[in-house]
Amino acid sequence: MSKAEQSLRESVRKKYAEIATAGDSCCGPTCCSTNQSETGEFSIIGDAYDGVDGYVANADLGLGCGLPVEYAGLEPGDTVLDLGAGAGLDSFVARREVGETGQIIGVDMTPEMIHKARENTDTLGYTNVEFRLGEIESLPVESDSIDVAISNCVLNLVPNKKTAFDEIYRTLKPGGHFCISDIVASQALPDWTMKVAELYVGCVAGAMPKDKYLELISHAGFENVEIKAERRIDIPDDVIAELATEKQISAARASDLHVVSVTITGRKPRVISVS
Amino acid sequence: MSNRERVTAVSEKNSPQGVTQQSDESIVDPKLLELLVCPLTKTRLIYNAQTKELISKAAGVAFPIRKGIPLMTPDAARQLDGDEK
Repeated sequence: MSKAEQSLRESVRKKYAEIATAGDSCCGPTCCSTNQSETGEFSIIGDAYDGVDGYVANADLGLGCGLPVEYAGLEPGDTVLDLGAGAGLDSFVARREVGETGQIIGVDMTPEMIHKARENTDTLGYTNVEFRLGEIESLPVESDSIDVAISNCVLNLVPNKKTAFDEIYRTLKPGGHFCISDIVASQALPDWTMKVAELYVGCVAGAMPKDKYLELISHAGFENVEIKAERRIDIPDDVIAELATEKQISAARASDLHVVSVTITGRKPRVISVS
Repeated sequence: MSNRERVTAVSEKNSPQGVTQQSDESIVDPKLLELLVCPLTKTRLIYNAQTKELISKAAGVAFPIRKGIPLMTPDAARQLDGDEK
């Protein structure tokens, strides 16, 4: 891993440790979360699980950007891998779908998040939901063992997305599938965005252009790749004004540069062709 | 059936694919160890009940289990000493 990747990873870990410890919902462009929230702050979240079966308020830190479980087509008994599980919200909603006979494995690289997820699991009394500290680019998960991989607003924060999708592919059973909500960009983001740490940990600067993101998924070997939900996110002028110069902002507006939250599914082929 | 027997029985019937329990003394929830492999080499792990660690012989490192959570990142791993390998 390059020094730049390591440094980005550390910024993300630090920010999310703060969020886990504070126990607050995450608002502002400085972490992964949009829309004007009740407090008037900006956050990337548009959809919410509240009201959905299996919703756990204590696990909802306001960090998602879609509802991957809604489109994941989970079946009772499925083994589910939650990538970047955070405090466990998507895992718990998924647990509701897979039932007693299923199994949920949550992986997150931030110790504070994993501990919170574990506390929530103990409170709920689930015996088939477990969490482990790990990184998405090197998953501590058996190959060909997962029915469905889910993830909510996390992969944009992973410096090496190619390795991440290769790992997802490796862990899925043949015929298994993923359902991932994430942030992508309308086009390549200008270099200056990567220098603004707040925009990276805020799920903006790490957003890959949508076409490149889909290409990466196909190159990993997935088939039947489909966008299930898509929503344009406009970052308000007053928010971006604090992070960029006027010239940078007007160039971005002129080219209609924006980010989009997407929920994507894709399947690992049942029979893998050897070429 | 004692607890230990139960764990052993479950281990045999529903064997964790990537983990070998080192001895009968290693009372750890088999569910926790299911489908768990070394993140570096993707190979089997051996649970050491005394140190509460998961040993990856292939990578030459040990991953700790803290408060029931396996810490499977390179940062958390301990390099094995010569005689542990």
